Parts: sequence; structure tokens; C-alpha cells
Amino acid sequence: MKALCWEGINDVRVQDVPDPELLNDQDLILKVGLSTVCGSDLHLLTGHIPFMQAGDVIGHEFMGEVVEVGAGVTKHRPGDRVVVCSFIVCGRCWYCRNELYSLCDNTNTNPAITQHLWGSDPGGIFGYSHAMGGFRGSHAEYVRVPFADHTAIPVPEAVDDMSALFTSDSAATGWMGADLGGVKPGDVVAVWGAGAVGQMAARAAQLLGAERVLVVDRFDYRLRQAESVFGVETVNYAETSVGDALLDATGGRGPDVCIEAVGCEAHSTGPQYVYDQVKSKLKLEMDRPIAVREAIYNCRKGGSVFVLGVFTGVVDKFPLGALMNKGLTVRGAQQHGQRYIPMLLDRIASGELRTDHLATHVMPLSEGARGYDLFKKKEDDCTRAVFRP
Amino acid sequence: MNTTGKALLAAGVATAVTVARRRRRTPDDQATGRWLVVTVYRSPEEVQASLPQDLTRWGDDVELRIVPAAGDKGTELRAKPVGETSAHDIRLALRRAKALLEAGEVVRPDTAPTHPGPLGKALGLVTNRAAGGGRL
Repeated sequence: MKALCWEGINDVRVQDVPDPELLNDQDLILKVGLSTVCGSDLHLLTGHIPFMQAGDVIGHEFMGEVVEVGAGVTKHRPGDRVVVCSFIVCGRCWYCRNELYSLCDNTNTNPAITQHLWGSDPGGIFGYSHAMGGFRGSHAEYVRVPFADHTAIPVPEAVDDMSALFTSDSAATGWMGADLGGVKPGDVVAVWGAGAVGQMAARAAQLLGAERVLVVDRFDYRLRQAESVFGVETVNYAETSVGDALLDATGGRGPDVCIEAVGCEAHSTGPQYVYDQVKSKLKLEMDRPIAVREAIYNCRKGGSVFVLGVFTGVVDKFPLGALMNKGLTVRGAQQHGQRYIPMLLDRIASGELRTDHLATHVMPLSEGARGYDLFKKKEDDCTRAVFRP
Repeated sequence: MNTTGKALLAAGVATAVTVARRRRRTPDDQATGRWLVVTVYRSPEEVQASLPQDLTRWGDDVELRIVPAAGDKGTELRAKPVGETSAHDIRLALRRAKALLEAGEVVRPDTAPTHPGPLGKALGLVTNRAAGGGRL
């Protein structure tokens, strides 16, 4: 079959790879209908996450049709339309039973790597390096889905494929940031990043009752999209002081909840961006936490900061003094998708949540390299490139 | 190889060295006499009744203990080598036992790429032992 493979730094190519097979009784084989790029893939492309092998199939946000199931699969049959969470989960360990699905104990096949890096191993992810299990990704004609009864979720008839696609990761991740960030009715919420995850976090904050939601980015087309689709307020940090804008919007208090949806390769206009670039190039810090610093600095006293963006290791100039003295609650997580996806699909069906506008560029898998190029360079107003294998 | 590629290679080597150093710090392949432990989200009775052969095959060479975990988190399944059994093999068996008891099967990794390249082969040296390494 054809699949989009990581072949080296900034080199992805469509290759012929062996068809996936049922390797465990609880596996299913999915014919991929739609699979989208994600901002976190860019960390693989740039070599920021150095646990890739040439020929690894990438892609982790997808949906499609079940074509084969193992003997231990009870909830799905061939022909079913499902969305697949980017995290593979067993559904029965303590973490899964407590809805902390991305922390699943039984799905990372290489636990030693992340245990050494982070102290413990999170669950496995499709197409996201050998540190996260080494599973093949979804930018392919077919993909194997382990623990299918828990990893794949049926799509209701009322939800079209494109809308369902983004519940696989971006909508679930965004919702988690607002939910576990503690958004309450009447809150003012600031979201750093107007990509798919940031827009979904902003919409989630609205649906959880936030009175005002402000989204921060430097790309006008993404800010316009968030503004026109969801009616949020926007701040372009290349033109406006974020701190001044947030103080003005909150009567001098700062946002109640700050959600960071940018990740480890953040940009900035100030000298700290140069500082972080130099330090990361010299391997003196692994990630550039510019948006996290801003979120902590600008959050109101006693407020909450949620880190949604992907980070890999240690950072420099972390504002621990602000965190401690302002009495902040800081929390982060990879997405606990199974906790939210069924609810998100229902909200899409009822018209409360829109996701299909994120697919600005839909193309065949054969144009995968072009899709990543558009997405990485933010050309042609690309929010997300979506592949139809 | 371009500059980024060299940086990536350096990062990969650094990771391998880190893993190797940590392994030396806790002599993985020798019987250390230290308890290695996983917590299984099942009752002690269920764990006792269904201990996988993978874990019991060493007989008296590996001491096993089954005790309730704090806070209703299940059962602590402890293993300590008293013979020549390696910590690597015991970790692997403990993890497999936990997965079987909790999820009914041990998830298998997908087939490896056909052309991993030099960096991928170096990474393979790490991943080949990663299932039995780590911090148990």
C-alpha cells in the first residue's frame, strides 16, 4: 500500500510499505478515509523529536472504515465508520479507568525511553516516534488499530467524515484544555495559538460558559478564521502587546484561565525568541516555552494555566516565581480523547461545534509532501492539510 | 549529513549514552537483589489466580510477592531475583503480566521500517531493549 513516510529531516515521501496485519486479537484494520497533518508532526519533521527511523509512517489524527477485526473485538464490525483517537489505550488500567487515557499503562511498547526522559511512560500514539511506541501512522491507505474497542469510536450518521476527523485529536485536545483548565461560567479565557487545537480550545471555553475568549497568534488569517467562525476576540502579537491587550480586556486582573496551544517551537517578536533559538540550537534547552511564559505572566492571581502544546524536555527561564507568588494552578496533558470524543461528536451533530472549516486544503495522499510544506510554511492560508488516501 | 542531521545524530547518541549510564548505575543484567514492581489494577486474589507463566517460569530463582496497593489502585506485583535472572528479563515479564492481567493481551509493535538508515539502526539498539528497561 501507499503511505507517507518520514525519511529524514524535513523529508517526507509517499512510499510503498507492507499492508498492516492483525497482530493482536483486539486489533482492527481501518481503511483510512481522512487523515490530517498536526502541528505536533512538525516536531518530527524538524528532528526535534529524535526517535524516528527512515520509513516510519507518520500521521495520528484520522477516521475511516473498518475492514477487518480481530477475534477479541466486540464493538466494531467491518463496514463501521469510526474516528480513531490518536492515543492507543487499553481501557482497563488504573489510568484508563480514571479517564486519564493518554497515560495508559499498557500501550507504549518502548517504555524505557520515556521512563528515563520523564520518569514514567505515557501511552502509545500512532505515527509519533519510537519513544511513543513506534506504531505506524495514519497517512496511509490502511492502518492497524490496537485495542480497537477502546481506541476507535463510532461516528454517528448525522456527522460527516470531515467534521468527525478533527475529534480524533484537535477538538478533543482543545476541549480538554478548557475542561481541565477549569473554565467556569463568567470567566475570561485567553488562548495562545489560533491553529486547530487553539480554535477548539476557544470554542470549548465558550461552550463551558466563558464570558469572553481572546485568541493570540501572529497569523491574521488564522485569527480571522477564529473570529468569523466562533466570534472570539483576537490579539495579533506581532502588532499588539499581548499583556496590554489582556489587562485591558479584564479590567487589569488578567485572564482567569490561560490555555497554551503552541508547543515547543514557539515564535515571538522579542529578544527572548533569539535567546531561545540560540539556546535550543546549542542543545542547552530542548524546547522554546515562549507562550507558556506569557501565559503564566499574564494569568490573573490565583488563576489557571493549561499547557496543551507538545513539549519534549527541559526549558530555560521558566517563571517559577510568578507561578508560586501568584498562586497559579498549572496543569498539562496529552489528550484524554476517549473521555471527550463521543460528547464532541454529539455536539457536532447538534450544531454546537463546527470543525470542518479547519480543513483548508484537502488533497490526495500522493500530495502529502506538498501538504506538509504548505502547513509548515503557513502558505496559502493553510490551517490544516487533509489527505484522502 | 547536514548540520541538523549531525545535531540529530548527537542527540540520539546522547540519549543512548544516557540510557547506558543509567543502566550501569543500576546493573540491569545482574541479579541486584532489589524488588522490581508493577501495580496491577486487579484484586490480589485475581492476580494470584492468574499469574502468567512468563513470570512464574523461574521458580525459586525469582521471589514473588503480591500485596494490595494503597488507595484502591489494585495490587503490587513484586519480583526479586535471587539467582542469576537478569533485571531486564524480570521487568519484561512484570510488564507483560500486568498487560495480560489488565488488558487481556500484550500489544505488539508494528513491523519496523524496511530501510531505517544509520540513525534508525542506532535507535534500534535502544528500542530492542526498551521493553525490558526503564524504571521498575
